[in-house]
Amino acid sequence: MERRSFLKSFTAAAACVAVLPRMASAADEAKKVAGPNEMSYATALAAITGGKAVVESAKVKVEAPEIAENGAVVPVKVTVDSPMNEKEYVKAIHVLNTKNGNARCANIYLTPANGEAFFGTRIKLGGTQDVVAIAQMSDGTFLSAKQNVKVTIGGCG
Amino acid sequence: MKTLIKIKPKTYAVGDIVKIDFMAMHPMETGMRKDKDTGALIPANYIDEVKFLFNDTVITKMVIWESLSVNPLFTVSFKVPSVGTLKVIAKTNNGQSVESSESITPKG
Amino acid sequence: MRLLSVSTALVCLALFSGVNAEEKMSMSDADKAMYAEMLENNPADMDVVEGKELFNALTSQAVYGQMLGVKEKDLPSYIAGFPRFVKPAGKVVTLSQTLQMAAALGAKSVPKLESKEMLQMTAYLKSLANDQTTNIDVKANKQMQEMMKLGQEVFEERRGGRGLSCNSCHSPDVIGQRLRMQPLPDLGSKVNASAGTWPAYRMTKSETTLLDKRFQQCMDNALLAKIPLGSREMVALEVYITNKTKGNPSQIPGLKR
Repeated sequence: MERRSFLKSFTAAAACVAVLPRMASAADEAKKVAGPNEMSYATALAAITGGKAVVESAKVKVEAPEIAENGAVVPVKVTVDSPMNEKEYVKAIHVLNTKNGNARCANIYLTPANGEAFFGTRIKLGGTQDVVAIAQMSDGTFLSAKQNVKVTIGGCG
Repeated sequence: MKTLIKIKPKTYAVGDIVKIDFMAMHPMETGMRKDKDTGALIPANYIDEVKFLFNDTVITKMVIWESLSVNPLFTVSFKVPSVGTLKVIAKTNNGQSVESSESITPKG
Repeated sequence: MRLLSVSTALVCLALFSGVNAEEKMSMSDADKAMYAEMLENNPADMDVVEGKELFNALTSQAVYGQMLGVKEKDLPSYIAGFPRFVKPAGKVVTLSQTLQMAAALGAKSVPKLESKEMLQMTAYLKSLANDQTTNIDVKANKQMQEMMKLGQEVFEERRGGRGLSCNSCHSPDVIGQRLRMQPLPDLGSKVNASAGTWPAYRMTKSETTLLDKRFQQCMDNALLAKIPLGSREMVALEVYITNKTKGNPSQIPGLKR
């Protein structure tokens, strides 16, 4: 019985070998084409803030899985704890990644009519990296939070 | 482009904060992917703007980039002010656009 | 013999090197909850909506039910029992194949099993059985008994250059072991309810996929020749796999990695 189950394990390992060549190699990495909107995280951040300071704050909450099931579909939710009235509200939520070719994911321009500063979406991540949310407040300040997401390659195609 | 709007929860009253889910069937091509057969680059084709309007007033405007997943989802909150019409307009970088609407009907 | 022991060590390394890192590789409950929530906004919902329009253009629930000798109100429970023996077809068929029958009956052009409209219509039809339990009956008649037997043979038959069968990676002995970091799923489990959750949206492919099409993708990965959709062997395999989840809820569209 032990031998039988060993044999079965062996075939599972063989299947593993069969799909290995699909993994991205360093050579593939070099051949990578630049996208139409290539922009680094630092540049994207500066474009949003105009060089103003960004303060990491517990008022901003980024929810994303610590380990993504699949880099192609990573759920992300951003909530900013703030009043949403004419005097004081969250003007925008910017969602960025730190390592994709284009660091920008979405810029969400809110109004008091939203009642709550919330944005939910799904993004593509090319590898393990941070998802960063920048909250642009009506008083001109910027708050931020981030969540690291591990992207694994694995499984059957 | 097929789209779907969902309001959650399904029943709500004036003053409640609901979530609006907007989904679009779109490939969100990054412009960096190659055709498996020909090796040619597939041109970028992604939704680059989504606007949520209530009775024709913009409540949320989104600038979108190609990093969003295929068949993307956009969720925002909305404080229901009255009966009315919610409209979502999605536009692509190629200038295509689609408009979808859903009636807002608070109970009680 | 010496060679064998070396390869044994290698295999063990390949299969179990992940054990120590188990905690880091597995998703937390919070992560799992986020993915579970994604079911509420499954991109495949749009296929179901489109499938409804296509179905209504092709036939109607009343006409479709009549063709199969089923009352309209009994359709949900009937649909939860596919693949099944269908008298006018004279054989065991899948849900998709009944749509081909409906097209032929209405003198409409018959959609191909591989086509997107077939996927969408099948998804819609199966969604009618949501909240039912998978009630396939492999003992219902001689035809089903034969298909069940054939299905098991197909599941266990080693094929291709590497001599792999479905059973190589999906036998109860290897469930939970990792293949490229992903645990091998239990096809009969109550948790992933397998057959009752297909058609499902596959995040890897960013598209909605039918169960038999998923079998083909799996065969492709294992370097096996693909068994054609609609063939006796493919239908039999679907019978065999579906029977593993008999009694589980039927709830589609599913969402898979």
